[in-house]
Amino acid sequence: MLDGFVGASAATFAADVDNAFWINFWVSIVLGLSVLIPMFYFVWKYRESNVKDEEIENFTHHTGLEITWTLVPTVMLMVLFWFGYDSMRVLRTMPAADQSITIQVEGSKWKWRYEYPANANGVVHKLGGAFIKPKYDENGKLIEKGTMAKSALYVPVNTNIILEMTAPVDDVIHAFFVPAFRMKEDVVPGRVTKQWFNATTVGEYDVECAEYCGTDHSYMYSRIVVLPKAEYDAWFNSNDDTPKGNYDKSGSALLQQHGCKSCHATLSDAVFFGPTLKTRVLTKEQVLDVINHGQDTLGYAMGAMPAGLVTGKDAQEIAAYVAAGMKGEQPASFAACSSCHGEDGKGQYGTSPSLVDYDVDLLRNVLKHGKKGSMGNMPKFPYITDEDVSAIAEHLKSL
Amino acid sequence: MSKSYLDLDQTHCAIGHPKTAFWQWMLTVDHKRIGLMYAAVIFTFFFVAVATAFAMRLELFAPGAQFMDGDTFNQAFTLHGVIMIFLFIIPGVPAVFGNIVMPLMIGAKDVSFPRLNWFTFWLYITGALVALSSLWSGEGFADTGWTFYAPYSLTTNTNVITTLVAAFILGMASILTGLNFLVTIHRLRAPGMDFFKMPLFVWGIYATAWIQLLATPVIGITLVLAILEKYFGIGIFDPSKGGDPVLFEHLFWIYSHPAVYLMILPAFGIMSEIIPTFSRREVFGYRTIALSSASIAGIGYLVWGHHLYTSGMADTAKVIFSFLTFFVAIPTGIKFYDWVFTMYKGKIILTTPMLWALGTIITFTIGGLTGVTIAMVGVDIHLQDTYYTVAHFHYAMLGGVVFLLFAGLHYWFPLMFGRMYNEGHAKFAFYLNFIGFNVLWFPMFIAGYYGMPRRYFDYLPEFEIYHQISFVGAVIFITGLITMFYVLIRAIKNGEKVGPNHWNATTLEWHLPTSPPPLENHTKVPYVDFMPYEYHHGQPVVKFDYETMKRID
Repeated sequence: MLDGFVGASAATFAADVDNAFWINFWVSIVLGLSVLIPMFYFVWKYRESNVKDEEIENFTHHTGLEITWTLVPTVMLMVLFWFGYDSMRVLRTMPAADQSITIQVEGSKWKWRYEYPANANGVVHKLGGAFIKPKYDENGKLIEKGTMAKSALYVPVNTNIILEMTAPVDDVIHAFFVPAFRMKEDVVPGRVTKQWFNATTVGEYDVECAEYCGTDHSYMYSRIVVLPKAEYDAWFNSNDDTPKGNYDKSGSALLQQHGCKSCHATLSDAVFFGPTLKTRVLTKEQVLDVINHGQDTLGYAMGAMPAGLVTGKDAQEIAAYVAAGMKGEQPASFAACSSCHGEDGKGQYGTSPSLVDYDVDLLRNVLKHGKKGSMGNMPKFPYITDEDVSAIAEHLKSL
Repeated sequence: MSKSYLDLDQTHCAIGHPKTAFWQWMLTVDHKRIGLMYAAVIFTFFFVAVATAFAMRLELFAPGAQFMDGDTFNQAFTLHGVIMIFLFIIPGVPAVFGNIVMPLMIGAKDVSFPRLNWFTFWLYITGALVALSSLWSGEGFADTGWTFYAPYSLTTNTNVITTLVAAFILGMASILTGLNFLVTIHRLRAPGMDFFKMPLFVWGIYATAWIQLLATPVIGITLVLAILEKYFGIGIFDPSKGGDPVLFEHLFWIYSHPAVYLMILPAFGIMSEIIPTFSRREVFGYRTIALSSASIAGIGYLVWGHHLYTSGMADTAKVIFSFLTFFVAIPTGIKFYDWVFTMYKGKIILTTPMLWALGTIITFTIGGLTGVTIAMVGVDIHLQDTYYTVAHFHYAMLGGVVFLLFAGLHYWFPLMFGRMYNEGHAKFAFYLNFIGFNVLWFPMFIAGYYGMPRRYFDYLPEFEIYHQISFVGAVIFITGLITMFYVLIRAIKNGEKVGPNHWNATTLEWHLPTSPPPLENHTKVPYVDFMPYEYHHGQPVVKFDYETMKRID
């Protein structure tokens, strides 16, 4: 939506900011014309064909003029400073916490998540997720607009909302920008920054990430849905996921919601940031990387895998075998692996990682602990529930 | 026939006495030749960065990915920014005209340290090659934006470190240029020329040289800290190692904000030369123009925080930085009034350089006043990191610094080559550029206020019209640029030959014995007992006998 000019009444302080902008606009017009009108006039009046050499005068000082064009703009600029300060004061003076709803906001590559205070039943609503990118056909024609689906920030109208914002400590800086409300503040890893608003009109407003954060920076949208108070309260005190009903809990929807699809392909074997989730594909380099460096961050019952269990030719042989999907004749050296990963490489009922597919245990452990590997770092997703992991695992199996 | 600095053997060399023209250029310590070489390299990079920008505009013509994915786009705007800032606009005016014209203006034979000047040029080339090498090595060119904000720059897999090393080397070259010019201006002015008899371009270079010398080390240190962090894991900026990313923003802008004045001040100097020459009268308010350059350079150090209004910095700090920022606008405004009133009761001759200068008054007025908008804290919270800021920046930098660089190019072209370009064609190129520029950038102010964030490779369909207008502007603008350079380059070989003072100007660089100038400039060191822009009834007051450099008026 073109929220910039039309949405002036969307939040209480938007009018203050617009007011400051328009004062600036007219002062700028006056100051600008005070330079440009004399310039154009002199260019015309003293044009070459209109002036004889004898008529040229060296006019080099005029104290009155100089004082005027120093003091008048200074006063005008101080007026602008005041309105800039005043509009900021409104934007940045947080309302009292007991008269507001405080919502925790987490920005991470590339999704926004919201956590509400617990309601009367002790339910803590956790909303948000990744934006569903628009779809285009081969000719670049839009087939489907991008959307947040139900993963928005829902707030009641005419209520103070305080956003306490942060990013995971190993993430990067984002900025929570709501053009319709004229508000923006960076979301800094390892810090809590705050902003607030009071939406005055029921409706939906875009949230954009305004601080460059990498690949999907231009898709790090969210929405603020402003609801009538009664509708908001009814949802807030219920157990429903969102005011628009429960989330789609299918594995595919969950992959979308949690932003997995930003880094992982699910329909093809393409490698974006992480490997495809369509089938488990391990490259020889990845297997060798784990053999050479070990792995101790996944939290399996079996514990850490030490580095260098096998070396040289054996390691090469094993890597080739595992990377090929453990098909064909098993090399004898694989005995070094099978004591923990099982002869079939499936990880012995979840006590150690499977080498051949994304089973529930592998997904849960990786999502819970994150992963560091030869391809880079995968962040933690500690808030994904066990039911969600199972649904995702089911879904991956069906691909 | 008398020899000019462009002829074979008409140069001193850093090492030995090479016989071939090629090596005489590579090893030259002559300030004029070094300036020309800078110009050749700098404008080549300019076109690389323009091409990158055009590729981005093409991608942005419609929403969705057309021929570039997000990562490529992110590398493209980083490449555009790094080249434009570090390779083009920071060296820009000082490296080209500071070298070619400044020593001539003060009646010097060369800069104070000609060998250092030669070394600096090759240091700059080294830095440029290091920067470009990361395009083809490692994981590809940095994708951080030219601001290198931590922790993104410390965690991305791309070749950020190579780019940081390059920026460090280029910073070193910038410091050495500043040092060289400072000493030159202090020590090599012609006898009689006190500070308030210097041409205003020299004042611009002087103020700039101080910024180069004092501010650049801050970015150097910052880049070294980032490199230490990346390779040795010392937690300085990355919060996961206990560092503070906002600290990086502060350190970065402590340099990079003064750096925009480093870019604009010498460009303003060019304006101060062109306006009196083509108004055929003395400049209005010589001292205020000179001192406002110095005060902009001073106040410019204290305002970096206005880049951090939404960074999570304390609100009190925002108010203080906002207040100080408004005080940079005042001396800038005074300069504009001085220039405009220099035309009062003059005789305005609309040559190509004058058109560029007047065009810049229009574009920089817009660029400067929209800068005032985003100096207002409350309004900037809305406009920070949107296209409004992008448009402001380009109006100030391209519509200010680069337009004036072009103005200087047209103004000093007859001095540099002893030949004139076709004025009709050059004026046509100006109008193309001016119209294209405004069509390209003005819509971004509106898109920005509507909420179009910068550095987006895809956008909401509502913004399509603004991007499409911008694209049309980009096509006109680039056509104008190509026309302009075609006209100029053709004139280097085929232009009509002109004498030493083609514009009937007053400053010392126009009082040389030959056109183009000879190797060691003025025949004798002149004695300066006059102001730089003395005209009487439209004619220069001071005349020299070029053999003895004695006044004959």
